[in-house]
Amino acid sequence: MANRAEIIHADFPKRVSAGDLPGGMNLSLSESNLNTHELIDLFETQLMSRQLDITSRRLRARNESHYTIGSAGHEGNAVFGLCFRTTDMAFLHYRSGALLIQRSKQLQGQTPLYDMLLSFVASSDDPISGGRHKVMGSLDLLVPPQTSTIASHLPKAMGAAHAIGLSRYLDKVNSVMPKDSIVLCNFGDASANHSTTQGAINTAGWASYQASPMPIVFICEDNGIGISVSTPKGWIAENFSKRAGMHYLYCDGLNLIDTHRATIEAIDIARKYRKPVFLHVRTVRLMGHAGSDTETGYRSLKNIEEVESEDPLLHSARILIENDVLSATSIIDLHASIEARVTRIAEQVIPRPKLQDAKAVMSSIIPDLPHQQGEEMWASQNDLDQKARKNLFKGEERLLTKPQALARLINLALADIMLSHNEVVTLGEDIGKKGGVYSVTTGLQHKFGPARVLDTLLDEQSILGLAMGLAHNGFLPIPEIQFLAYVHNAEDQIRGEAATLSFFSNGQFTNPMIIRIAGLAYQKGFGGHFHNDNSFNVFRDIPGIMLVCPSNGRDAVQLLRACAEIAIRERRVIVFLEPIALYQTKDLHEEGDGLWASIYESPESNAKQINYGDVGVNGSGKTVCILSYGNGYFLSCQAQKHLAEKKIAVRVIDLRWLAPLNEEGIIAQVRECESVLIVDECRKTGSLSEGLMTLMVESNINMPMARLCADDSFIPIGTAATLTLPSMEQIIEAAESLSLRVAGSK
Amino acid sequence: MTMKKQTAVVVCPGRGTYNQTELGYLNKYHGGDESTSEISAFLAEIEMGREVEGQISLSDLDSSDKYKSRIHGTGDNASALIYACALADFKKIDVEKYDIVAVTGNSMGWYLALACAGVLPGQAGFDVVNTMGKLMHTKGRGGQVIYPLVDANWKSDPELSKICDETVVDLNKMEGIEIFTSIELGGMRVLAANEVGVKALLEHLPPQQDRFPFKLQHHSAFHSPLLDHMPELAMRSLHENLFKSAEIPLIDGRGKVWQPGCYQPSDLYNYTFDHQIRSQYDFSSAISVSLKEFAPDKLIILGPGTTLGPPIAQQLIELDWLNIDSKETFVDQQKREPFVLSMGIEEQRKYVLS
Repeated sequence: MANRAEIIHADFPKRVSAGDLPGGMNLSLSESNLNTHELIDLFETQLMSRQLDITSRRLRARNESHYTIGSAGHEGNAVFGLCFRTTDMAFLHYRSGALLIQRSKQLQGQTPLYDMLLSFVASSDDPISGGRHKVMGSLDLLVPPQTSTIASHLPKAMGAAHAIGLSRYLDKVNSVMPKDSIVLCNFGDASANHSTTQGAINTAGWASYQASPMPIVFICEDNGIGISVSTPKGWIAENFSKRAGMHYLYCDGLNLIDTHRATIEAIDIARKYRKPVFLHVRTVRLMGHAGSDTETGYRSLKNIEEVESEDPLLHSARILIENDVLSATSIIDLHASIEARVTRIAEQVIPRPKLQDAKAVMSSIIPDLPHQQGEEMWASQNDLDQKARKNLFKGEERLLTKPQALARLINLALADIMLSHNEVVTLGEDIGKKGGVYSVTTGLQHKFGPARVLDTLLDEQSILGLAMGLAHNGFLPIPEIQFLAYVHNAEDQIRGEAATLSFFSNGQFTNPMIIRIAGLAYQKGFGGHFHNDNSFNVFRDIPGIMLVCPSNGRDAVQLLRACAEIAIRERRVIVFLEPIALYQTKDLHEEGDGLWASIYESPESNAKQINYGDVGVNGSGKTVCILSYGNGYFLSCQAQKHLAEKKIAVRVIDLRWLAPLNEEGIIAQVRECESVLIVDECRKTGSLSEGLMTLMVESNINMPMARLCADDSFIPIGTAATLTLPSMEQIIEAAESLSLRVAGSK
Repeated sequence: MTMKKQTAVVVCPGRGTYNQTELGYLNKYHGGDESTSEISAFLAEIEMGREVEGQISLSDLDSSDKYKSRIHGTGDNASALIYACALADFKKIDVEKYDIVAVTGNSMGWYLALACAGVLPGQAGFDVVNTMGKLMHTKGRGGQVIYPLVDANWKSDPELSKICDETVVDLNKMEGIEIFTSIELGGMRVLAANEVGVKALLEHLPPQQDRFPFKLQHHSAFHSPLLDHMPELAMRSLHENLFKSAEIPLIDGRGKVWQPGCYQPSDLYNYTFDHQIRSQYDFSSAISVSLKEFAPDKLIILGPGTTLGPPIAQQLIELDWLNIDSKETFVDQQKREPFVLSMGIEEQRKYVLS
């Protein structure tokens, strides 16, 4: 099959020389705001971007390049690189070569050709990802990298725009972007169908509709096809031109003058009025979806050639010639000189070093410490101001002196954290006025205002996107996901975006946050599965993120404080899983014993802190060591008393830090005992219990072992709610059985 | 058999490159039989201009028996000598052998780069160099001190950077002292300071490698805010319309690429006589960008002198370019197949000439 990339490449000078150029909009340069120098500059960028695409395919043929998804046909996006400021954070899709090159021309000392080629050959010298992926990104140019393949960057782009508005209001926060910035986010027409796109645009419109600042330009580069499936004619315009709260603009992305006109207008609206804009840009896709894509399998040759005749480079050549800016000869010379230049650079990057071992690959999952931004943010926390604190808790003094349950203690801890750290923002469904469906955030909005305690719309992808965007602009977000079951429709925002940022940026970008999630089962017959979901596997295998689960209020306070410090200083993404069934639990064994409640330990108290990895240890029995967390820990502590009455000495370990596990700490406790019982309220299949059992085996623990888990079932409603879950009685039974095995082995 | 044409980035030298060793450079390489009609005309035009200004002729300076720092080293004379030697060298590069893909320079070498690239054609280049040389001579303030950030093997030494940074921070706390980074010069840092600052630097920077800290004679505090008064004087003396469109890409002292046609000459004028004069000159970045964005087969350093060789080599080492990772590998590479061609070095010069 003919190599269309080379055909397009060879056709360009021939067609320019022959004057065989596509017609187009009759726009004069003199009537535009673009000057001749800018036009030549944009054209040079377009040629550079195209040549990178061509060169990458040539390198692929030599097995030197590992990425051939190009920008061919989209080179008009160079205009966005010219018009947006380098301080306007940009979330770019993978066809943004020209955009990134042009943007880099705004800053001195940038080497976009070399850098892009380094990324093609996956060299560890690649300044953005260190050879881990071909991503569009740059720290200097404020372009956080992502793969962008499923438009999952749109929610965080929207969040970053929200964060600009917030930074104007919360002026004590040291924001990354200047306060008059806007956000730029581009994506393709096929990606416009992703729920992430729909959700992010809906949320942007929702905010704008109620006059909340949302300075963002969503740029849809519409090439009419998604891999092999055509976008219905007129679909993007019909779909997005009448969205509430959103300005819609259209331009011909094949025409630099028209694209410049529309871009200036879009930027003006976003910057001046703090409103979101949907800029619909017509483009074409040349050279297939990627180097490996056989376009003739789904497009006729005639159709392919028709599209190629609309090559934006040919359109630009026509504009340059028609406006007497460059001659055909100059254009052809420039084309040739850029080919020679990029080819020379390519030969230089081929031998550059590659990642050599797993350790090197993994070194950026977590950024290097100490982290400058983290330490600065940590150092900027407010001194404990007793007067301010007294005012904060005015009318709640009784709460501070009487034992409280988990929900209230989390509430008080959040208040103190927000008092200390101006950059902390909480957000979620119903967390403001209502104070959360379980009252965990009661009164916080009254204390800190609606800007810092934000009632969001019902869209988990947007909540997490808002959190990421806030983190990108210097805030520490504490988003709340109302129920564990709800996180699953948004999990990629954590898995594919938040967790990967440090990895793909070689530790240069981070988005620290604490994601509070109310979850797990045992609510007294309330809610059924979607309010009692008992699976958090989704978080266990994500490199770099931390999963924490308090079982009681006292621990929750200390764990939240530890998480705040880790998130700020170490720039980590942390999931804080709160057992709903224990929110209001005050008693352990019998009504009124108050053993599961505690008095709030204020930040200046001498209470023992819980450090990263610290497990909780209840009792010093040696016959059975129960490993558990959350509700399982609570039930095990109940069982412990009954077992003691039966002369079975038990110690109960609260794991607290569920991922990564403190393996050494756990094993040290186990080694002091004679048997191990793992009590896991999550399903037998895939739950933490499997990881713990593996840990025992791999650590050569040679003693009787058992696990007690939930059945592989969803959670029913009503009196059947706990039938599939471990019970106190089952724990007693399992521990007794183990003790017998211990006795039998002696 | 014809050799494949190679690509080259040309690097123009700055002040301090015409010294005792270079005395006679003009005559040796561009006088008599060595000259061409183009170079003779070029030099004659310069001499005429200096005569009009009542300045010593370059041929007199070049043919002096002895190099006298107070004569040869002052701004008005040194700049003109270097300009004449460098531009004449540039005109001698064999364009059949080398395709010049970009031009850059160090410090005053920026003016030379502008001339080479065609921004300052004909006499304009000399007017700029001579005027700026005179201005620096008469209105310049402060001085420059050079200090190494690399070890004797030209490998980056973080301890030296730390010492330099901390000394500057500490000295700047003292009343009356003003010190700035003037030039990032490969493995060297050039510091600009007022007079007391220069004195303090010489006293407080720990001695290194038998030569440093080293005061650059007759230099002002170039590329620092101590010359904030200079842009106005320069712009008053040199009009914007001296600047034309370039024919060759330029890489400035921030590592910015000025691509022909892609900018207004007035922007280049403003950079040259404002930012460039009173802000740090990052020659290291200029070399990095030259290498990474143009990937030339050779770097050609115009004469006179050879002082830009080590900073360029140090930058090559910093980038591990062509597997050059130490002074030793650089020297080996130069012996085997020189990548840096310094026209001030006889055996390398011959590669460049036709």
